[in-house]
Formats: sequence, C-alpha cells, structure tokens
Amino acid sequence: MSLENNSEEGRYLYCIVSSGNEKDFGKVGVEDRSVYIVAFNDIGAVVHRCEAKPYETATKEKAGKWLLAHQYVVDLATEEFGTVIPLTFDTILRGNNETLKKWLSKEYSQLKELLARLEGKAEYGVQIFLENDLADRILENSEEIKSLKKKLENTSSGSAYLLKKKLENEMQLSKQLAIDKYAKDLHAKIEKLVDEVKIGSTSKEVPEKWKGKQMILNVACLAHKDKVKNLGNMLGSFKNEGFAVRFTGPWPPYSFVGQINESKIEGSG
Amino acid sequence: MPVQIDEDNLKSGLLGVIVALVEVIQEVLEREAIRRMESGRLNENEIERLGQGLMELDAALEHIKVENGIEKTVKSIRSDLDKLVEETIDVMANPERWKQEKVNQNVSGKQF
Repeated sequence: MSLENNSEEGRYLYCIVSSGNEKDFGKVGVEDRSVYIVAFNDIGAVVHRCEAKPYETATKEKAGKWLLAHQYVVDLATEEFGTVIPLTFDTILRGNNETLKKWLSKEYSQLKELLARLEGKAEYGVQIFLENDLADRILENSEEIKSLKKKLENTSSGSAYLLKKKLENEMQLSKQLAIDKYAKDLHAKIEKLVDEVKIGSTSKEVPEKWKGKQMILNVACLAHKDKVKNLGNMLGSFKNEGFAVRFTGPWPPYSFVGQINESKIEGSG
Repeated sequence: MPVQIDEDNLKSGLLGVIVALVEVIQEVLEREAIRRMESGRLNENEIERLGQGLMELDAALEHIKVENGIEKTVKSIRSDLDKLVEETIDVMANPERWKQEKVNQNVSGKQF
C-alpha cells in the first residue's frame, strides 16, 4: 500500500470520537498502518493514510485479520474516549486530512447529535431460541392436532398419508403461530428495558452450541450501561420459561449508526 | 446468491437439483390434495387413490435419493432455495434494508 506512483490519496476511517485533540495511536491499524486522529472542534475521526481504493482480498484469513485490526482500533478508541460512532470495515474517504476536516465540519451537527445519542451506551446482541421441550408442549396443546392423530390410527394407507401430511402442516402452522406470539412478547419486554432495538434475521449463523435450536428472535439493543444489568436479569428469567438465550456484548453500536454512512455519501458529493 | 452444490460430481449434483425441484412440486401437490380432501367433493375411494399416488411419489423420491447417495445434496439445495426466497421477499418487502444495502455498497471506497 504505497502512496507513491501518483495513486490517489485516501483516509481509512475507523470511527468518530468525542475528542478534539490530535493523537497518534501508533502502528495498530489494518496492515499495521499508523493510526491517528484528525480533529475538528471537539470531535475527531480515527484514521490511517491509504490509497483511495477499498481493501479487497480473496482469502478469508486475510479478511479476518483486517477485521480484527479494525475492531481493535475501534475498541482502543472506545476505551479512551467513551462510546464512538463506529464505521464499517473499508470505509474510505478520498482525499487528505484537509478533505476529512471539511467533511467533519460539514457533518458536524449531525455527528454531534449522534455522539450524544450514543453516549454511555453500547450495543448488545440478544438471540432467543426455542428449547425443544417448549416446542413439544406447543404441539401437545393443539386440539386440532390431537384429533388428527386419533383419526390417523384407523385409516387406510392412502388416506392416512394425506392425513399425515395435513397433520405435519398443522403442526408447522401452530408452531409458527406460537413462535410469532412468543417473539412479539419477548421483543416488547426487551424494548421496555433498553434505549433502542433493531430486529435482525432469525436465520443468522450461530456458534455450534446453538445449532439445532430454532432461533425465534434476533435483536440488537442499544442500551445505557446502567440498564444492562436489568436486561441481563430479565434474559436470565426467559431461560426458566423454556427459551435459550444468547447474550453478547458490549459491542460498538454498529447497528445504530445507519444514517451516518448516508450523510457521508452526500457529503462527498 | 448462487445455489451451492456440494458435490464434485456434476451428475449427482444435477440429479440433486432435479429431485429438489420435484420435492417442491410434491409439496404443492400435497397441499392441493389436502384442500380437495377437505372440500368434501371427493368420495373415500378417490381420497384413497389420491393419497396412494402421492405416497408412491414420495417413496420413489426417497428411493432415488438413497440409491444415489444425494440426501445431503438435496437437503442443502432445498435450504439454499429457501434462503434465496426468504432474501428475495425481504428485499422486496423491506425497502429500508434495500436502501441500506445500496448505501453500504457505495460506502466501500468507491464513492469517495
């Protein structure tokens, strides 16, 4: 990543912090680049110098390393300055420090507002799974399913096949209805305890421990540090109700800064 | 998203795709059969024959899968298809995400 050969200059952005002091973090960045702060007023952008082109690689290993380095710098900045506005990997601004300052000044009020909204808060991931015995209980409670099972016992094979298929469909449907209701209730309870909630896909990949369990709710929560204990306690109580809970964090609030990317594109003209 | 076929052998991969598609059709047929059974317009014999036909189709598909060792392939194609449908619906029914994805793509360096 040399800056010679007339290649266009750029700045790789890690995050925006509530600090107006220039600072050098040392060679801790992606590909061991020197990371520093470009400040405007009382806010700053944590960056490294690079070419104005995205980091791209075909190997998973390298991409993983880059992501870890990105995450490491965001964590360092969070430790030092409190909650930051994290930017996604490969956010690169075309230009030099002056271009970046101009952008910071143009977006200043929006960035300040966002920093205020995030202050003292962090993102937490909550994934709720259905334990198998709860799934079974849902199916036992359905009258329709009971009567279908009974009907199946003395039916000839062709008709029995259709009834069996109908039973399977009914079971699927009642399970889905019950899951929707559970997910709605759990979501409402979580929403009361945290500042903001974003719903994610329930078919997301999960670590080995959770595979084989059906995920019924996947949310990202923005929560103030004071509220996290209550959230944890409540999630613990869900376990007694037949759910398995995966609670992760604190993370930089990636899910709650969506607007910022948009403004940047407009800002870059 | 491309549909992944996790078999080196193209022949069994292709067979997997075909069986997966027939399974989808089978499900549609079965739902339609159940609907007709419940409509009350079929007599017991007709229901029995309909059920027998579908049962034989089911047995034949199982046999083909076991015989060719493609149970896993078919399962993974089906789940890829499901995901594809889910994503398509999500994109069509969720303009907010669609917009966000466009923004994310643009942010990757090129726009600056």
